[in-house]
Amino acid sequence: MTTPNAPDAGPLILVEALTRAFFVGGEEVRALRGVTFGINRGEWVAIIGQSGSGKSTLMNVLGCLDTPTSGRYMLNGKDVSRMDDDDLAVIRNVEIGFIFQTFQLLPRETALANVELPLVYRGMPAKERRERAKAALDKVQLTHRMHHRPNELSGGQRQRVAIARALVSEPSMLLADEPTGNLDSATGEEIVRLFEQLHQAGHTLVLVTHEPKLAARCPRAIRLSDGEIIADGPGPVVALGGTGVLPQAGHA
Amino acid sequence: MRAFLDNLRLALGTFLGNPLRSLLTLLGIVIGVATVITMMALIEGLREQVNKNLGSLGAHTFEVTKWPTGFGRINWAKYAKRKDLHGEDVKAILEACPSVVAATPTDMEWGKKLATAFRETHPSVGILGTEPTYVATSGVTVTNGRFFNETESLDGRAVMVIGVDVADALFPGMDPVGSDVRLKGRPFQVIGVLQKRGSVMGMASQDNQVAVPMRAFQQLYGKYRSVEIDVQARDGAVFQKAQDEVVNLMRRRRELTPQEANDFEVHTNESMTASFNELSQVIALAGVGVCLLSLVVGGIGILNIMLMSVTERTREIGIRKALGARRRRILGQFATEAVLLSLFGGLLGVGLGFGFVFLGKWVLLFPMNVPAWAVALSLAMSCGVGLLFGIYPASRAAKLDPVEAMRTE
Repeated sequence: MTTPNAPDAGPLILVEALTRAFFVGGEEVRALRGVTFGINRGEWVAIIGQSGSGKSTLMNVLGCLDTPTSGRYMLNGKDVSRMDDDDLAVIRNVEIGFIFQTFQLLPRETALANVELPLVYRGMPAKERRERAKAALDKVQLTHRMHHRPNELSGGQRQRVAIARALVSEPSMLLADEPTGNLDSATGEEIVRLFEQLHQAGHTLVLVTHEPKLAARCPRAIRLSDGEIIADGPGPVVALGGTGVLPQAGHA
Repeated sequence: MRAFLDNLRLALGTFLGNPLRSLLTLLGIVIGVATVITMMALIEGLREQVNKNLGSLGAHTFEVTKWPTGFGRINWAKYAKRKDLHGEDVKAILEACPSVVAATPTDMEWGKKLATAFRETHPSVGILGTEPTYVATSGVTVTNGRFFNETESLDGRAVMVIGVDVADALFPGMDPVGSDVRLKGRPFQVIGVLQKRGSVMGMASQDNQVAVPMRAFQQLYGKYRSVEIDVQARDGAVFQKAQDEVVNLMRRRRELTPQEANDFEVHTNESMTASFNELSQVIALAGVGVCLLSLVVGGIGILNIMLMSVTERTREIGIRKALGARRRRILGQFATEAVLLSLFGGLLGVGLGFGFVFLGKWVLLFPMNVPAWAVALSLAMSCGVGLLFGIYPASRAAKLDPVEAMRTE
């Protein structure tokens, strides 16, 4: 695979005054109350917060699984905040590699078929698909398990399959939601090391978590509370409760 | 195309993942299709047999009758007022129509009983009164013995040519020729056995008939009856001309003005077959209706299994959508699954139908033949039902919200 990020001008992600409100039982719940930040290509950013802080909502919007109530979200130069279901599906397929806490692998398919899936929806011929999926599994050192189904794999192996699936489509960013949440600490550490390697290889990584320890490993972290950014700065600082530099001022 | 193949593979996987449930749900379609195949085979079989046997007239022969043939509501009273046809008409036709080579009067009595000293038939035998030219105009052949000749006919002698069913009933394993058979207490000498001809719809078997000279027939059943006249044209080239000559002659003899319609009927093998085919089409159409009904029942099964499938696989759908599957793709996946499922049911139904037909044909000896169009039609209808009832669950799947869908277990 080539370097995932095309050298376009400007930040990869630009979020401006983003809000997202839900109606729960006739009452308005404002999950995001005007969030503004940018993420450059090649950055590794953690988004941390307690449950209810709005980080899941933000993750859904960043992942183009949800659209904002107001505000703007530019992803790789495209305004995706007002796109419809089908256009968002294409954006997700091309721009985003998802890594979920619960892996979200298709149980009836082999590891290889799971990794191929994003390429299936890109309409790639089966042979090319297979080769690229094998290459992606090689990157996470799982070629020897590629014909196994998820229930025959350990948790760490499943998450590595999911990472291979996220990598296979050469997306602009990898979006990970609590990637170590369902793993024991040793396996979690393995995955974090894999992220470090991916970061060094030039991938843009956005990691949503509630674990300060994990956020501390990231060069940059954004802390959400009650739908607002309360800290944005170096991971170790923000993870320990520091505010970093606020608001969207430059960061190293 | 690639998407279609992927969908096909997925659909196959679903089916193989739960074969028993799939089969049970398909039962409606299977039975529906099996029914239509069996029904159509029966109708087709009858039709073929009728076409073969109903045409009881010989080569380039047509029939002049007082009564129309046909099915459905016929105003018999209207036809009863028509003048009878007589032996005089037969003579006139032979004299006045140059394209005609033979004209044979025939008359029938149904449901009679024949007996020998040892055996008797069911009261179901058809007694045919006719003349020697019947051999030419009907195309029958006598396999054993001979048909009665001119002299026997003119004298009205008590001789009889019998069908094979009658021969089997009265003379099992014996040669009937030369023996006596009693009809209405009067002894007739058997002089020949007719070639086996088969039956029309299992009724009115042409083999369960006997032929006697017209005069002898009239002595038993009365003189003043209307006969039917079988008229043979010289050859195929003048078949139509012969009909025209006979029609003109009959109109003159019956003193019809040019404005009046014919008060007699002219049938050919073709016209008789056509009127039966009309009937069989009506039956076939009713059959298709019944089948459609059972396919709708089958369709509800499809609807049910697809809704279940969508619910069970909500998470899978969520994952697929998250990874970039568009609505149409999900719709296609589930619609393909529904169509494939019901097509499979259709195929099973066709197989079962052929099984029924095999049984019917070889065990019950029904005339049956599966027409190719019935197979094509029932498979097409299965696919249609699958699409119709699969599209709603599929569109539900396509509209699922990926975040919500991935959250379900």
